[in-house]
This record gives sequence, C-alpha cells and structure tokens, in this order.
Amino acid sequence: MEIDWNAFILVSVSSVIFSTVIVATFAFGVRLYTNALSFVSAAKKGSQTAAVSEVLNRTVAYIMFAIAGGALLYGIYLIVPVFHLDK
Amino acid sequence: MDPILIVSLVVAIALFFDFTNGFHDTANAMATPIATGALKPKTAVIIAAIMNLVGAFLSTAVAKAISVSLINEGVSIGPEMVFAGLTGAIIWNLTTWFLGLPSSSSHALFGGLIGAALVFAGVGAVNTDAVFQKVIIPALAAPLIAGIAAFLTTRIAYIVTARTQLSRAKTGIGTGRDTFKIGQVFSSSLLALSHGTNDAQKTMGVITLVLVAAGLQSSGDHVELWVVVASALAIALGTYAGGWRIIKTMGSGLAEIKPAQGFAAEVASGVTILASSNLGFALSTTQVASGAIMGSGMGRRGGQVRWSKAGQIVIAWFLTLPAAGIVGALSALLVMQGTAGFFLDLIITLAVVVTIFQVSRRNKIGAHNVISEVEGASEAIRTPRQIRQAQRDERRATAKVSTTVIATKSTVKKSAKTSASKKPAKSSKNSKSSKGKK
Repeated sequence: MEIDWNAFILVSVSSVIFSTVIVATFAFGVRLYTNALSFVSAAKKGSQTAAVSEVLNRTVAYIMFAIAGGALLYGIYLIVPVFHLDK
Repeated sequence: MDPILIVSLVVAIALFFDFTNGFHDTANAMATPIATGALKPKTAVIIAAIMNLVGAFLSTAVAKAISVSLINEGVSIGPEMVFAGLTGAIIWNLTTWFLGLPSSSSHALFGGLIGAALVFAGVGAVNTDAVFQKVIIPALAAPLIAGIAAFLTTRIAYIVTARTQLSRAKTGIGTGRDTFKIGQVFSSSLLALSHGTNDAQKTMGVITLVLVAAGLQSSGDHVELWVVVASALAIALGTYAGGWRIIKTMGSGLAEIKPAQGFAAEVASGVTILASSNLGFALSTTQVASGAIMGSGMGRRGGQVRWSKAGQIVIAWFLTLPAAGIVGALSALLVMQGTAGFFLDLIITLAVVVTIFQVSRRNKIGAHNVISEVEGASEAIRTPRQIRQAQRDERRATAKVSTTVIATKSTVKKSAKTSASKKPAKSSKNSKSSKGKK
C-alpha cells in the first residue's frame, strides 16, 4: 500500500503552527491591550512615562491583532487555487 | 432504468443531503460564540450561512478526491451504484441522528459509497490506497491534530494573559480574556468557512461521480460550475434554516466553555480543516471540532478528561464508516434486483426521511437532537468548577454520614436536637453556593 505520509506531516505541522501563531499573537495583543488600560489612570494624572507606556502597549497590541488576522488571511490565500493559477 | 432519471434523483438527494448537513452543523461553528455572547443568534446564523456559501467556492480538491480517486480507474460504475451508496448513507445518517448516536454525515457518505461499490463491482473496484490516504487516516488523525493544536493554543492563551490576584487587585485591570469574544467572531467565521469548503465539496464529488458514471461528463477531473453553485446554495440554505435550533436550545451545556477556549478551539479546527481540504482530505468537520473542544478543555489549567465519555465518542467515530458501509451494501443489493428493487430503495429512503422529519417536528428539542455533537464532546471534559462542585458534594456526603453516626450514638432527644440544628444550616449553605454559581 502506498501512502503519502509527507502529506499528513505537512498538514499536521502547518495546522499546529498556523493555529499557534494566530492564537499566540492574539493573546499577546490581549495582554498588551490590558497593559495599556492599566496605565490610563496614571497617564490622565499627568505622568509622562505612563502616557508613553499606554500608547506603546496599545500600538503593539493592535499590531499583534493585525498579525493574527494577517496570518489567517495568508493561510486562506495559500489554499485557494484561484490565486495560484499561473503555477 | 432511464439513466437520466437516476441522475436527477441522485442530484436531488445529494443536494438534500447537503442541506441537512448545513442544517445539522450550524451549531458546530456558531454555538460557542452565541453561548459566550460574542454574537447575537441572528447575526451568527447569517454569518455562518454566508461563510459556508463562500467556502464552497474556495477549492475542489475534496470533490475530485471523491469523483476520481476512490473508485479504481477502468471500473465502470453505473449511476445505480451512486444512488445505492447515497441512499444507504442517508438512511444510516438519519437513523443515528434520530437515535441520538453520535455519527458523521461525511463518514456515512463514504461508507455508503464504498459499501455499494463493493457489492456492485467487487473488492477490486475500490482504490484501497486512496481510501486510506484521503478518508481513513485523515479521519483518525485530524481530530487528534486539532485536539493537540487546541490544547497548545489554549495553554498559550491562558499563560500569556495570566495576571496574579495581587496585580489584579492593585490595578483593577482583569486578564482581559473577555476580549477573546471579539476574536471568536472571526474564529467562528473561519470554522464556518472551512465547513463550507470541506462538506459542500463532498456533495459536489458525489454529483460529479454520478455524472461521469452516466456518461454525462467525460471525466471526474473537474467540477461543473452549476454543481458548485447548487452545492454551495444548498449548504448555505441548510445552515440558515438550522439556525432556529440553536436559538431555541441556547443556554445549555456549552456555557462551560470560556471565550479564550472557544477562540483557541475554533482557530485550531478551522485551520486543520482548511489545510486538510487543500490536500483533498475529506474529513468529518464535526469530529475535528469535537477533538478541538476536548483539547481546549484539557488545555485550561485544572481541566480533566472523563475518559469513559471521551471513549464513547471515539468508538462511535470508528463505527460510522463500516456501519454505513453495511447499509450502503444492503441498499446496493436491493438496487441490483432491478427496477422494483430500485424503487423499493427509494421508497425506504423517503419513508425514513418523512418519518424522522415528522417525529422531529413533534418534539423539537429533546435528548435525541441536542444542539450539536460538539457539545457532547465538551461533556467529556470536567472543568475546574465541576471538579470543585464534585469535591464539595463529596464533603457534604461524608459530613452527613458523620452526623448520622453521632445521632445513632446519642439519645433520641439529643439526635433530634443535632439534626434540627445542623440541617437548616446546611441547606442555607447549599442555597448560597448555588446562588453564587449562577
């Protein structure tokens, strides 16, 4: 019997990696976003460092969310044959 | 028999099968976000229907796997064989659904087709390599992979967002895990998309198979556009129609799934199904989603597996394919008897469909039509809260035993006093803890 085991390894590894990237980046985004929230009150009181930390955390959080979404879209792009007709 | 008549019947029945598939599986993708409050039921159902529609257009690898690979080249199969396989699959699928047995419509379909092919054309007709490569090994591996992925991602999500009680008290900022509800809007859409990609293609594969068998299409290496459109519409309509079931049965067992877990499980199953569809692996979307739910249940700290329940689910997975194969073979035997047998098979199928439709209308919600098999899978995991509750019950039970022991040792008057003083106190505790739970 001829079974293409490589296909299974490919599917298994790529499934685990893609899921991990998407969930991990999203989770980091959540973490940084809540970090940003924790600086809000200090920033309002006029603390310069807190204001900077809030903006930094918030920005990186949004970047993380964007990476999670981007990884998802890239995965869908990879599997749709219409996008790879020239090959 | 007129081949055109058989082809039309197969197309109609296959599209009906597609519709019930969507109807049955809406809950798999959308029950969790509705339960956690991430989406309103109506919105969720509309998103699921649209995503299924779009997903059906993404790829045809699975459809080709069915129409080209499963039956060996050179074996001439008649449209009767496809008819027999399909009716066998429907009879098995609806019967198990009615009896409340966990089953998989995908495996029922493959089992039915393989069983019918074995009866019609013998062992040599079935391409065993392809059956193992595209159906059996993915069926066993994919739920496991999705489970592992969900376990890992749930762990990561919880570790990354963890905050100590102290820091939470100091800053007043929680873990933010409710934010995963927003993520769930996307992850459940992904799951619905992957469902359309894999499951609608199975219908396309069957229709293409019967078109080739009847000589209406030269080879099964492509799928006609009308077949894609019809299958996509059938699954999307089924998904939309299935929505009322979710709305009516809301608030049941799935509440134990936290947004972070739901997000991790949906991403893991959606990604696994999409990756598998790409390589033409036809798998049961329900089983993959169930595997992911169990994985994420274990991934949360303190989650425990109820092995007996999990075992029941897995055994049912193993049984579907051979059992549907037997039903497919039986209906093939019937169809082989000629026109009378053919119509008898058709009548039996229609009778099963009508009966079950009538019965399910009469009692809309019951033990036999729980919200989804994925929910059944979530019951295989004990959450930390359920474990604490069990321990509390145990302590209470031992406390009761000790009071009765004291009571029997002391005089009748004393025992009356102790039970009178202890029992009300205990019941007030009970009501407190149950209030606290809600």
